[in-house]
Amino acid sequence: MKIELLLFGAFRDHDPAARVQLDVPDDARVADVRAALDAYGRAHWPRFQPALLQRSALASDSAVLRDHEPVPGGRRMAVLPPVSGG
Amino acid sequence: MATSRCAVVDITQARLDPAAAIDFVSDPGFGGIALFAGRVRDLNHGRVVTGVSYDLFDALALSGFEAIADDAHAQFGPRLKVFIAHAKGRLAVGDLAVVIAAGTPHRDEAFRACRQVIEAVKHTSPIWKQEHYADGDSAWSEGCSLCDAHDGSAGDAQAAGSPPATP
Repeated sequence: MKIELLLFGAFRDHDPAARVQLDVPDDARVADVRAALDAYGRAHWPRFQPALLQRSALASDSAVLRDHEPVPGGRRMAVLPPVSGG
Repeated sequence: MATSRCAVVDITQARLDPAAAIDFVSDPGFGGIALFAGRVRDLNHGRVVTGVSYDLFDALALSGFEAIADDAHAQFGPRLKVFIAHAKGRLAVGDLAVVIAAGTPHRDEAFRACRQVIEAVKHTSPIWKQEHYADGDSAWSEGCSLCDAHDGSAGDAQAAGSPPATP
């Protein structure tokens, strides 16, 4: 299935539209999306930093998701690098 | 009557308003109001800053703000009003980035609630800061990882963040 992933913070710099589409297995968990993004970044983003992705969380519109959780039903997710509000 | 108000403010549409924050947390029974106003600083790690761009995941930020306000109510009880607003977009030095207010019967819980809320916003909300420097460079702040957030919980962006690195 296809997942739309919104890009925030430093990840925005990799894509003008601030979003990517990833293919993951139909029974994918959050860890599979993380792995797919890592592969996509290594293939398409010259300044991709794998270490930043390791420190980044994945989320739905309403919750930060753990790696073992299933992909949310809406199939829209976001990658959240370390936060720096305030 | 609502006891919390949370907002993401697009600075191309409006400005943060500390007076509105004080108005919202006011109550005839509240003798204490604490307000925190965070502004863009002109220096970061020794480099001259000309502005800061804030990126937010609006939907998750708002649900996180509401969870932070709920936590404050759980800790300090029903005699509390909380206001949380954060700016989104490019700000200049001196512009307001965040306004937090807490109103309570007495000053001690107002100060403590206000401090608790701003620390939670800084460490757990999906907000990213990009500093723009006088030399033309721009850089995203390193920030607090949310990867270890939510052990066993779900539904908001709250986490046990690391200690504050900046005021």
